[in-house]
Amino acid sequence: MTVETPYLSADAQLPYCRGCGHALVVRHLSRALEHLGLSPRSVVLTTDIGCVGLADSLFPYLHTVHTTHGRSTAFATGIALAEASLEPTGLKPIVMIGDGGAMIGLLHLVHAAQLNVDITVLVHNNFLFGMTGGQHSALSPLNWITATTPDGNWTPPLDLLALLRTAHAGFLARQFATSQELATTLAEAIDFPGFSVVEIVELCTAYGTRWNQASGASLQEIVQRQGYALGKMESEMERPTFRELYRHEPESRRPRDSRPAVPRVNAKADLAGEVRLVVAGTAGERVQSAAGLFCRAALAAGLYSTQKNDNPVTQGSGFSLAEICLSPSPIEYTGLESPDVVLVVSEDGWKELQANGTLAACRKETLLLVDSQIGVTPPAGRLLQLPLRREANPKRAALAAIAAWLEKNPLLPSEAWEAVLAAEPAERRAESAAALEIGRRLALSCADL
Amino acid sequence: MLAEGALAAGCRFFAGYPITPASEVYEVMMRELPARGGLALSAPDEISSLCYCVGASLRGLKAMTATSGPGWALMIETVQYALMTETPVVVALVQRLGPSTGGATQGAQGDVWLAEFSTSGGYTLPVFSPSNAAECFELALHAFNWSERLRTPVVLLSDKEVGMTSEVVDDDALQLPSLVNRSGVTGAADYAPYALDEPDGVPAFAAVGGEVKVTATGSAHDRRGRLRKNSPEVIEVLLHLQHKIEAHAEEMALVRPDLDSGARCLLISYGVTARAARQAVSKLRSEGSRISFLQIQSLFPIPRRWLDQATASVEAVFIAEENLTGQYRAALASSLSGKRTYGINKIGGLISPQEITRAVREVMA
Ligand SMILES: Cc1ncc(C[n+]2csc(CCOP(=O)(O)OP(=O)(O)O)c2C)c(N)n1
Ligand code: SF4
Repeated sequence: MTVETPYLSADAQLPYCRGCGHALVVRHLSRALEHLGLSPRSVVLTTDIGCVGLADSLFPYLHTVHTTHGRSTAFATGIALAEASLEPTGLKPIVMIGDGGAMIGLLHLVHAAQLNVDITVLVHNNFLFGMTGGQHSALSPLNWITATTPDGNWTPPLDLLALLRTAHAGFLARQFATSQELATTLAEAIDFPGFSVVEIVELCTAYGTRWNQASGASLQEIVQRQGYALGKMESEMERPTFRELYRHEPESRRPRDSRPAVPRVNAKADLAGEVRLVVAGTAGERVQSAAGLFCRAALAAGLYSTQKNDNPVTQGSGFSLAEICLSPSPIEYTGLESPDVVLVVSEDGWKELQANGTLAACRKETLLLVDSQIGVTPPAGRLLQLPLRREANPKRAALAAIAAWLEKNPLLPSEAWEAVLAAEPAERRAESAAALEIGRRLALSCADL
Repeated sequence: MLAEGALAAGCRFFAGYPITPASEVYEVMMRELPARGGLALSAPDEISSLCYCVGASLRGLKAMTATSGPGWALMIETVQYALMTETPVVVALVQRLGPSTGGATQGAQGDVWLAEFSTSGGYTLPVFSPSNAAECFELALHAFNWSERLRTPVVLLSDKEVGMTSEVVDDDALQLPSLVNRSGVTGAADYAPYALDEPDGVPAFAAVGGEVKVTATGSAHDRRGRLRKNSPEVIEVLLHLQHKIEAHAEEMALVRPDLDSGARCLLISYGVTARAARQAVSKLRSEGSRISFLQIQSLFPIPRRWLDQATASVEAVFIAEENLTGQYRAALASSLSGKRTYGINKIGGLISPQEITRAVREVMA
């Protein structure tokens, strides 16, 4: 059969079995496009895998993207998303997918519906996998005989449209491939500015009608038995489209470098070799941010630093630790090996250092500065306990511990701290300054440090 | 830094799905891309992430996603689609300890094979591996450039230790290539999306939605993108997918060599382990050993000319990497034939400089 249109090629040899519903759909689609008068270059036909996916070669003037099994909707969504970020060109992605593809790629349909991207999905529901030999699908009716359900299908069919309605699809319709209204429905769906889906109920003549008593009349019966309405379904047609929903940032919001800039001060740090230290405490008690502030101060004074944080799998509870390496020259290896300094401000932190082997790796030169409330079994190294939590409060204890150590090992000039504190948000600045002050005071009161 | 590099490379589309240790890239892109006129989106899974990226790239945008091993496993079908359809796309694969869910917050270099040997047929996927924050930035640019120039998916193979360690980067010291964009089609007449004037050439790109009809397909196709079976032209097109990469292999080579022409042995490493290796080499030299060092940034295609040069005079080659069985060592085997090779391997923690020096001393003593 030949059709004279700029869409379906005039000499198209339809590749389907005689009587296959897919053949009806491509003709209706061609008519729908003609009716809409869409320029062929403003349509991209995204075809799935399966007999249904053979359609792209039939439309020689449209853009065609022949994809992988079940994923056609996702590729089309990607195209539509990109289109929505550009000046509108009126591009219309149309997806052709089978009932098999619709199920394996179900989440793509759900997400496209939620996003309300401007794509149209034609689900060719012939109740089975055609290309692979007539196996049953998630949309097969009850008792449907297929290659994999020779005694009849016993899993209830999925009502795809009902499901997509719960995903807020803007346009939903169901038609028989044989319906004279199919072209009109398709045109309406394509014209719809957001997500639209049309389930086309049809028969596979190679397998469906061979193994089942099925004809046009019995299709009606099946659909009725499943409680499926035909035609357009009620839906959220007025929802804003993705293009309207997606907020490009307002003008006021300038791009931001995700990297905090490092202030530089003239006074230089006094450090001859590498120092490796670990700060350990409890999640939510500003352990890692204290370490970050310290590293920035070190950088400000011309040192190199690396910081590695660790948490349990859940982020908001349990231990929190930061491993820091400071050096006057660029740092290659970032592992802790045997730490020079260990600062511990909570029980959680102590337990973790015990568990991860850090305490066992301490040498006799290692300085351990530990909160007084922690009951410790002394490891190798020089152990000192200070009332950090009590004096500074738990959230300032980590920074106070750093300051206490630095008081007796003054490797950073005070200008470096001033510079990084000045770069802190105002509400933090006072807190941090207080923590540093308390740490210094505690150090002075501790003769052994 | 990887995200910043991607932004600097002109990435305009990102779709992601949360996974440690790649979530940071995702979060930076979600925040920064919209402010730069691009689009960043949360996908419902990793298959969708990459499909969205490939769709956006077909529409003409530079696109990237970021994931870790478990997510990459889901993407492999789509990576092959990008390869077959010659669609540029970059995947940042930030490794963590596997197999399966493994250790989400532990580093590893265990996905080298998974990254490179993920295509049916064994096509070469360009893989770049940074060892520090600055290299994340630099290699992101290279990854996008080669992806665009050769119309191919490219993997940026980072890991937890590189991706989640804060360190300072001197912007002025970065070595940045100038940006490359895919070469667009000129003249609409008679466009063949998979044309190949030379077997190792790259066909001009036409964006979906433009004036020139696009025929993209993941099925075996001829130059025009038509599905064909048993046609010699299909085989030619398939061969060209590999030839176009191989023909640029030497140009793609990125290494940081530290060679000693009188060295008896060579140490090779990449990614985070290269840092410990560099330190180990200084130590060994300070003890009087003659040792060469080669950090490889472009893991694939294998930089053979550099390997030939670096191995010319040595008897033994050590390859240090944080995985169980020496994945990159195995991949290098054919390039190192005739040399004694030794793996320095470990899982569950960084390989330390001491572990490397010890292994080298044991053999070379
Ligand atoms: C990931 C993957 N799994 C399985 C297949 C094999 N396969 C090819 S077509 C098909 C089913 C097609 O059925 P349907 O989507 O209903 O389309 P129809 O052939 O009926 O038009 C399957 C499972 C594949 N190509 N890819
Ligand atoms: S196998 Fe079934 S679905 Fe495929 S072309 Fe034949 S009739 Fe149509």
